[in-house]
Amino acid sequence: MKWLWLAISVLAGTFGDLMTARGMAEHREIEDFGARGLARILRHIGTHREVIAGMVFNSISFFSLMALLSVSEVSFAIPAGASSYVIKAALARWYLGEHLNAKRWLGAVCVAIGIALIAF
Amino acid sequence: MEAKIEQYSSVSRLTNRIFITLIVITSTFGNLLLGVGMQRMPDFGAAPLSSYISVLFTNRYVLIGTALLIVWMIAQLWMLTWADLTYVLPVTASAYILTAILSKFFLGERISVARWAGIIIISFGVLLVSETPPDTKHQPERTS
Repeated sequence: MKWLWLAISVLAGTFGDLMTARGMAEHREIEDFGARGLARILRHIGTHREVIAGMVFNSISFFSLMALLSVSEVSFAIPAGASSYVIKAALARWYLGEHLNAKRWLGAVCVAIGIALIAF
Repeated sequence: MEAKIEQYSSVSRLTNRIFITLIVITSTFGNLLLGVGMQRMPDFGAAPLSSYISVLFTNRYVLIGTALLIVWMIAQLWMLTWADLTYVLPVTASAYILTAILSKFFLGERISVARWAGIIIISFGVLLVSETPPDTKHQPERTS
């Protein structure tokens, strides 16, 4: 059962982050960091379909992680879940058109390994 | 006027750093306060749901922690308007480092050798990614 919750958590979290990132990237009015800028961002978050869908996926990921933690140890759930950093990096090229150089790849792998070690 | 990060990026280096700091601090303290607040809650099944919710909404640790996590979510989404997902996620992972160090000094938790190794490896990863331009979607591919 723990592998099922892990798969749901990682996949939902990955698609959630990819969708919110693509939805937010469409908001290009980023010169204003004052109250009006904040109001525009909140309106964008609350009305953009892909951002909303991404947040729904992220919520599914969060509750799946809670379910995973109820049937497994933290030392399994967190390191296994950290693999999502590498999966997101792999899919970001295709889904978001991001250009990952060697530093980005190595950075994502280091963060995933580091989070795995911190859980022990 | 503050110099732009790169020719193809529309925010200043200072703004970028402010957002990274805001995301790391709100994420770390939000989770810590929520953790402390939930430890002070009664057992979920022990009390009626209505009284559990009323205790939850008067728990100031939970309230402040939740407010900080709302700020974290908005700041992270805002940063994604100019920065790549593969930049934002690793760079803001420094919250894991801050959480581990704060847990040692404020909660008295022991940091094992494996945990120190994890902190060092994450720091190296954050350093590597922070040297790359935040936005690569609007520029030709680079190989180095």
